[in-house]
Amino acid sequence: MSDSPEGSPQTELQAATARQEQALLQALEALEQAPPFVKAKYQPEVIRRATDLFETDAGLQFVRAQAHRFDSAGVFHAGPWEHPDRLLPGLVGGGLRAEGQYSSLEMLSELRVLAIAAGESPHPKFSAEQALTFLRTVMGLNLDLLYGSETEESRLRPKVYARAYRILAMIKHEISSEGLLEQVLDDIDARVAQRPIDVSLTLKMIEQAENIKGDPDPKLAARLDRYLKATGPPTPLAKKAGSPTNYLKLLANATTHEIENEAKVVGKLLTLTGLSSEYHVAFLQHALKHEATGILAIALDLTEVAQAHMEQYREKVFELMRLTIHPATSWIIYGFQQMLERMLLARPEVADGLTKLLNLDLCPTAQQVTKKQLPRGSGITANAAIVGGAIAMLGQPLGVGQGNNPTCQGARALSLWSLHDPGYLLQLLTSAARDDTVEFMFEGLPILSGEIGGGVAEGKFDLKLDPVSRILVPHLDRIYDEKMRRAALRGEDPHKWVNPALYGRWVATSLASITMVNQTVSGYEDFLRLFYATHHPLYDGGHDLVYPNPVGLLITNVHGVFLGYHAVSIQRVAEDEEGKVRVYFFNPNNEGRQNWGRGVEPSVVGHWEIPGESSLPFEHFAAHIYAFHYNQMEVGDPKAVPAEIIAEVTAHAKEGWGQAFTWL
Amino acid sequence: MEKKVPVVKKARVGKRAPVALLGYSLETMEAAKEHNIPFVAVVPEGFDIALKEDGVDVVTWDFYVHNHNSDRLYEKLVERGVSHAVPLYEETVEWAGSLNTRLLKDPRAFQRALLFRDKAMMKRNAQMNGIRVGVFEEIRSREEALAFFDDINEARLRLQEEAPEPVHLKPLSAAGSVGHVFVRSRQDIASLPDDAFPCLAESHLAGQEFSVEAFIHKGKIEFMNITEYVHLGYSQIVPETPRLSKHRTKIRKAIEKLMKAFGIVNGMIHPEYFLDQEGELHFGEVAARVPGGHIFELIQRAHGFNPYAALLLCSDPNTSKTELDRFFPKEKDHKIFAANLMVYPRKASVHQLQFPKELEAHPYMDRHTMFEPVTAKVAERVGFGNHYGTVFLAGEDPETLRELVQRYEEYDFYE
Repeated sequence: MSDSPEGSPQTELQAATARQEQALLQALEALEQAPPFVKAKYQPEVIRRATDLFETDAGLQFVRAQAHRFDSAGVFHAGPWEHPDRLLPGLVGGGLRAEGQYSSLEMLSELRVLAIAAGESPHPKFSAEQALTFLRTVMGLNLDLLYGSETEESRLRPKVYARAYRILAMIKHEISSEGLLEQVLDDIDARVAQRPIDVSLTLKMIEQAENIKGDPDPKLAARLDRYLKATGPPTPLAKKAGSPTNYLKLLANATTHEIENEAKVVGKLLTLTGLSSEYHVAFLQHALKHEATGILAIALDLTEVAQAHMEQYREKVFELMRLTIHPATSWIIYGFQQMLERMLLARPEVADGLTKLLNLDLCPTAQQVTKKQLPRGSGITANAAIVGGAIAMLGQPLGVGQGNNPTCQGARALSLWSLHDPGYLLQLLTSAARDDTVEFMFEGLPILSGEIGGGVAEGKFDLKLDPVSRILVPHLDRIYDEKMRRAALRGEDPHKWVNPALYGRWVATSLASITMVNQTVSGYEDFLRLFYATHHPLYDGGHDLVYPNPVGLLITNVHGVFLGYHAVSIQRVAEDEEGKVRVYFFNPNNEGRQNWGRGVEPSVVGHWEIPGESSLPFEHFAAHIYAFHYNQMEVGDPKAVPAEIIAEVTAHAKEGWGQAFTWL
Repeated sequence: MEKKVPVVKKARVGKRAPVALLGYSLETMEAAKEHNIPFVAVVPEGFDIALKEDGVDVVTWDFYVHNHNSDRLYEKLVERGVSHAVPLYEETVEWAGSLNTRLLKDPRAFQRALLFRDKAMMKRNAQMNGIRVGVFEEIRSREEALAFFDDINEARLRLQEEAPEPVHLKPLSAAGSVGHVFVRSRQDIASLPDDAFPCLAESHLAGQEFSVEAFIHKGKIEFMNITEYVHLGYSQIVPETPRLSKHRTKIRKAIEKLMKAFGIVNGMIHPEYFLDQEGELHFGEVAARVPGGHIFELIQRAHGFNPYAALLLCSDPNTSKTELDRFFPKEKDHKIFAANLMVYPRKASVHQLQFPKELEAHPYMDRHTMFEPVTAKVAERVGFGNHYGTVFLAGEDPETLRELVQRYEEYDFYE
């Protein structure tokens, strides 16, 4: 406006700020005075006025200074943010990026937690200590917002992102990032312990951990250093080289002793972290050039058995390595190591299957989904990338994940086949990659995935997946859905027929599930007794599990409130380091660490888990299961299970997910 | 699992029995509370939970289902000693009529409510009472719509080469401008979906459009506000500017005529008129509920009284004259004008809000309600609803206000 009253842009700006501040105070006051049922009328104005102020640091500070009033005024009254003790740190990142008024609400909520943490507005159910922990977790989970990395979305919505960066900077400033590096490292440790095939998230976290400055603890520095070496230059020589290409040049002139040293370091880092770098690729290329199997064995940190296996199939190993280990696919080195450890090349169907894939005419779909995920101009063929992915899956059967897709069925199947029938897995992959279809039989009738639509994911896939899943899961999803359709309305859980038909002969044909008609649970005790009599080593009559058992779980949130159904596979039941019986299971959702409330927290490391397994004490697992397969000929004595155990598990179930059901 | 919540029986304040508020309107509930008017909120399912937790007496009701169970609402309200019902949304108007037929022992209350809901019935009634309305017809098919369009153009003596006289098509019963189609050519009619019929066809009324919010008690206008539309569906000024206020006496007479024709004794009506070049008034339509377009907020800002409270006081036959006199200010006493601008994105896809700094700094700027858009894709406008937000302005000079809303109607608030 040209008719602005007076003065410089400076004073105008000050006047505008003062007006915005005054408006927020007025809005807050109006909200404070409103009776509870009218709070909703006055909330939008507070949120709106705060949104204006969030555009500057000073504005955010001003809103922060009022934060102690938010809860009592009713800023969050009758909404999802109402109870600070029920907030989930995992939702904050999404909230800050949300649209409409929601990102502002999320900011206001964080400011309120800051006020609680600072002791400015004590909360009866959420202590200052809890508030601090919450905010630290929020920082740990949102390092990208803390250190401001650019994304497509942040470019499109700069204001929302600027605000989000601002609030995280404020949290960091107020509660200090002390302990943050440790938390992030703990998180990386836990991810690494699970040895996922897709390590993109781990790599991102390591990158961000590097950005956390000013933490002097040498122990933490050493922990971080290990990850930086595993994913970057691993040795002084590599550091000196400055790039993988130069590293390769330096290696050409290195002494045998030096080469051996380099090999030891990269090999150890690989085993310790499951991670690798382009430097590692360069080193392997150097060793391959000289066909030095001894050095290769050290650089892959192979056991004697695996080394012997490699020697025996050296030509095949060289061929596969030369084609698949490439700067763009450095992450498959760990899978390669593990495949050699499993001695899978000794199985002709695997060796031949991989060769067949290398020379396959790919269908356009397979070409497209594979190429799309490779860096431009990386010079690796789609065939080689797919074979690399297959090697990774063969090496890491428990590293398969469903990504952001509702396809736990597909992930479980791939994991099971990789473990027990790798030849079949490669055959399916070949069919999908070449013909864009896979064929399954269901009760004597064939189903061709290429000829049907549907699918749980309805054909929409997030392709942040490993190369094999990217190609196969869309087919498996349609097949599964079609089988479920054909088996529907039989008066019993269709999985009874679908699971054995989908996964194969390893799945027992009897299915026990809780009767949950009309949200009403009946016959729970018999169900539980049968689970103990088929799975618990004390009661199963010696019929221990051999093959993974696809089972259904009832999942609850951190407060023990029923969330929904989830599919996992029981891998084994065994005693842990304390002699406690645990269920070891494969959770295809990529993140085994969970908190289902009331003390039920699946662990991924520390209780003798194989990398990729989750585990729970038997009774906790029992209290969440709702369906499992069993062999009728292999049932112990259900009556032998003590009544106290049944009562305890039943009570746990009833107080958790059971609250959402009526019990008969 | 529905938890059983005990009915909160509040002590009656003064001699008032509780009033049933039909529809979820926080503003009305707030006004009732401020004026110690006990109330029962009758809301669709889902709106009840938070209200119950906050101690409000709530009855849930599905206003879209009409069947033999409809009686249950009356029974529930009678159990609570409710004296009468006040409709807050278009869909609740006939419910209020039906309830008041029995609660107030007013045998024609329901039929009267239907007058407000059925646009053809409304216009027929107005016409029979000597109120000037456009030519209208209830039409059942595309062919009838084409015939109506041709008839109007024939009567207007339009030549082939001239732009045809436009007509309007409206659903027989819907709030304000929902479902309204402005027909400029035969082609427009041809491209309408089949489910656009049956509807009401109407000749076009030209001129300055405005609405009146008349608060009526015992058959007398207690307060009359005029809302001047700057651009229908986009911007308006309360009260009317001098261009229109010189016609106030005429407008008041028209309202009195309308009250008589529609038998309004207590409550509020919100009719719309057109003032033509010759200063003649043409009746558009009339509603008996809280008007849209944030008009009540503008009234509160300009006149300084709470129109929701006014609605409640006027709807209650037992409100005393003293109460009303104390409540309403004089119509001419207002010091300022209030205006608003309903913002609708001007692009197909928007990502963030870009509120103009100079408007924010303008002394007439009150507040706005816009946030970053929830979805980038901009949906088709329905009626004059689903706007993205509203800019509220107020100041002493109505011409400055008009200039502001007109200027920013052309502005892209979203980028």
